Amino acid sequence: MFIRAAFLSSLLLGAAAIAPVPSQAADILLGASVQLTGPVANTGRYYKDAYEFAVDKINEHGGVKVGNERRKLVLKIYDNQSDVSLSVRQYTQLVTQDKVNLLLGPFASNFVLADSAISEKYKIPMVQGGGASDQIFSRGFKYVFGTLPAASDYFGSTIKMLTQLKPKPENIALLYADDSFDVSVAKGTRPLLKEAGLKLTLDERYTTNATNFNSLLSQIRNAHIDAVLVAGHETEILNFVRQAKSLSVSPKMYSFTVGVPSADFRKALEDDANFAFGMTAWLPSASLKDKWFGDAESFAKTYKAKYGYEPDYHAASGVADVEALAQAIENAGTVDPEKVRDALAKLNFQSLYGTVAFGKNGQITLPQTVIQIQDEKVVPVYGKDGFIKPPKYPMPAWNSR
Amino acid sequence: MDLLIQVLINGVLLGGFYAIMALGLALVWGVLNIVNLAHGAFIMLGAYLSWYLYQYGGIDPFIGLPLNAVIMFAVGYAVQRGLLNLVVRAPMFNTLLITFGIEVVLTYLAQLAFSADFRTINPPYAGDNITVGSIVIPDVRLFAFGAAIVLTLAMWVFLLRTKLGRAIRATSQNLTAARLYGVEPRHLYATTFGIGIGLAGAAGALYGVISQVNPYIGASLTAKSFAISIIGGLDNPLGVIVGGLALGIIESLALLYVGATFGDVATFSVLVLVLIARPTGLLGRTA
Amino acid sequence: MRKLLAAVLLLLGVAILAAVPLVGSDVVVQFGINALLLAVLAQGWNIIGGYCGYPSFGNSTFFGLGCYGVAIALVQWDLPFAVGLAFGAGLAIAFAILLGIPVLRLKGHYFAIATLALALAMTAIVSNIEIAGRNIGLVLPPLNNDPLFYELSLGLLTVSTLTVFWLTRSRFGFGLIAIRENEEGAAVMGVNTTLYKILAFTLSGFFSALAGGIYAYWITFIDPTSAFDVGLNVKMIIMAVFGGTGTVLGPVLGAFLLSAISEVLSSEVTTTAGLFFGLVVVAAVVLMPRGLTDIFQHFHKAGWRYFLNNIRTHRV
Repeated sequence: MFIRAAFLSSLLLGAAAIAPVPSQAADILLGASVQLTGPVANTGRYYKDAYEFAVDKINEHGGVKVGNERRKLVLKIYDNQSDVSLSVRQYTQLVTQDKVNLLLGPFASNFVLADSAISEKYKIPMVQGGGASDQIFSRGFKYVFGTLPAASDYFGSTIKMLTQLKPKPENIALLYADDSFDVSVAKGTRPLLKEAGLKLTLDERYTTNATNFNSLLSQIRNAHIDAVLVAGHETEILNFVRQAKSLSVSPKMYSFTVGVPSADFRKALEDDANFAFGMTAWLPSASLKDKWFGDAESFAKTYKAKYGYEPDYHAASGVADVEALAQAIENAGTVDPEKVRDALAKLNFQSLYGTVAFGKNGQITLPQTVIQIQDEKVVPVYGKDGFIKPPKYPMPAWNSR
Repeated sequence: MDLLIQVLINGVLLGGFYAIMALGLALVWGVLNIVNLAHGAFIMLGAYLSWYLYQYGGIDPFIGLPLNAVIMFAVGYAVQRGLLNLVVRAPMFNTLLITFGIEVVLTYLAQLAFSADFRTINPPYAGDNITVGSIVIPDVRLFAFGAAIVLTLAMWVFLLRTKLGRAIRATSQNLTAARLYGVEPRHLYATTFGIGIGLAGAAGALYGVISQVNPYIGASLTAKSFAISIIGGLDNPLGVIVGGLALGIIESLALLYVGATFGDVATFSVLVLVLIARPTGLLGRTA
Repeated sequence: MRKLLAAVLLLLGVAILAAVPLVGSDVVVQFGINALLLAVLAQGWNIIGGYCGYPSFGNSTFFGLGCYGVAIALVQWDLPFAVGLAFGAGLAIAFAILLGIPVLRLKGHYFAIATLALALAMTAIVSNIEIAGRNIGLVLPPLNNDPLFYELSLGLLTVSTLTVFWLTRSRFGFGLIAIRENEEGAAVMGVNTTLYKILAFTLSGFFSALAGGIYAYWITFIDPTSAFDVGLNVKMIIMAVFGGTGTVLGPVLGAFLLSAISEVLSSEVTTTAGLFFGLVVVAAVVLMPRGLTDIFQHFHKAGWRYFLNNIRTHRV
């Protein structure tokens, strides 16, 4: 009786194997597997919103010009529940079953690392704005393109700024989480600090999702650290700042790779977020003109009106991904994946995200602007041409704010 | 030297918080023999509860602790009476499975209800501290430490000296005899579990003030509470204080002297060692 | 005669399954690999948890060791896949023996908890090991041959199921069942309980490690969190329990069924797929703690009251 059941189930599996699969028609199908639930979902959902926003806007303008006709974009998004192996299976499903034309990426470097193996295997280009780690782009893959600039350069402009601050910071601490992106950031930051003649006194790798920064903060206070550079995740940095306050640790400045540009980070910390430095490859400035959205400033306004929160560089990067695909299709005159891939490699156009052009390894190059939270607002302080607005430095002690 | 003292104090205060965190789990485990793998998820719910009370009711998280505990008690009572009571006499391994399932369900429901955003409970005194020489002692953690001692002693007195406490212990030791004495076991089990969850709720309120809340904090909190309960020993209600302090200090020292990636290694290695060498824990009687 | 029919049916079943990559779409093959590997894990758990009665919450540790064995061999030492599998299996066997000896002394739920602690400790420890890529993990060289992985997984499942089948008719197997039912009595009767327990643990670990090795090469990327995932542990247990522990085909059936339902949900309703998993666990433990096989055997006698009886026996 039982054996019969086992036999039946293997029959079922076999039958499922030969079930026919319907195919798509004239719309251009873009597929993505994004973290909509699970621990990384609070950033993952920015990408879904951004992809949808961009696709709707482009369709509003009549769609994408392919040769002589205009075709609409259609999105298919799966929730990978913050599970890397599920996202790999979902990308396979998007390519082989849903027969998408082109791929958009997930959030987070470790996801992109695994998922880009699928785009490479099936030779379908993937444009992603969620992974910046050097590991992604050093494998010689030809089908993955990234709109986040290199992890190793994240603190570049911050370090340049540090050399021009008075009093110049003497002792620097570099703290970084032990995941692909943050380790890449640290690796790139060390030589930059050395070149700038800044002394790296404390260099500590910590566990991802750490909640206890008391020991590190005590060390920072004990070693009279002037500047703290932290490469980590929003929840860790939140804990770091709160614990710094409760232990009265206030170095002359601290800078974080994430959190500062995001509205809910600032909301969670309220005025404790003040004085924190960060960086962003994108600001909603009216000088960034865009074919579909007008400019970055109006994009930000309409985005906030629709979704209820201000877009940060994650959202802008997601929009840039869709625009890159659209522009590449128009340049190539076809949706053939090989030709689109070649068009992506040669791409160079202006968008609300800045200049979209990919390097030989597939990654974009964009300068990071140093930003600071002043009076609970994000203010750009240092760009590629030097100071933009005066930074509030040094940071006052916690009890005198 | 100053650094060492500061880190030790950090460890002790952390230990106090850890003790509160684990108290609910240890109570339910030690007395009812139910290993609640969803304990961390209930802490997470308690934290959200405090957040809502603070955000929309203006109720300070500390003043609202009793309210939080009472509401969470009701939740716990319902869960035990309605669900867990159904598997109490099954092999213990079944409760491990079912509470794991509850953890998954609670986490998903929390994500649906509260979204993946993280929240903080940020009363104005959240970052205050007392300075003694060059040593800094955060107020909230000092309070948590004090609360841990008070609650654990209260638990000890409750279980060993009050009628209800003795009835609970009797029921878990001998169900039939307890029934013969007129005790209603379903109600008692539910009450005990309710107390355990009420304590989890209180821990959640504190957690929200010290750290941040999102639907996914449950699993690691359960793992830590688990380690604390075993290291301290389940036979003695004071075990959580010993376990919490031991873990808080070991973790802080490991982070300082071995490396900032070795916190969990220290915690779980000690747990494995205790399980192998002295399974009844530091305060337990040797079996 | 019945036995012959059963054997033929099973052979046919295996043949059909083996033919899937020839006719099936890529997605089905991928789903198949996932389901087959989960079935191997469930079957491996069945040996120590189902037959021996020691519910291990640490089989994910063996799975992870298998993953890392293959990953390190391929990435760091440039050795072939087969060597990697052997390395992973070797690590698992060593681990099972070294840590099995102290941990198997613990009774009942303390054993479960100790193995859970081991799994938690492994994640933390491996995130600090340089050769394993620390917390970033390792990226394996891609091998675009899903049908190969599928057939390997099917082969592994067949071997593990045959092993369990052999268990049911061997002295070793009877010894395990004796340990499960009454360990002290078994010892008195001359069963070398320590040796048998360790053998069962090692065998269980061996299969889990091989499954891990195949998984790592297939998914081309592993890190400590995904390799030593405690949730995976519970998944394999619930699949074994759902199908019926202590039976030969129970875990296989449970694994296939639950995987199928989970996969369908993940692609149709996506967001609630995880919720479903939790609800299944809760429902299974309350209503059918002895699994599908037990339902098949008793349902026609007791009807729907079967489920109520389960509750009645176990509630307070």
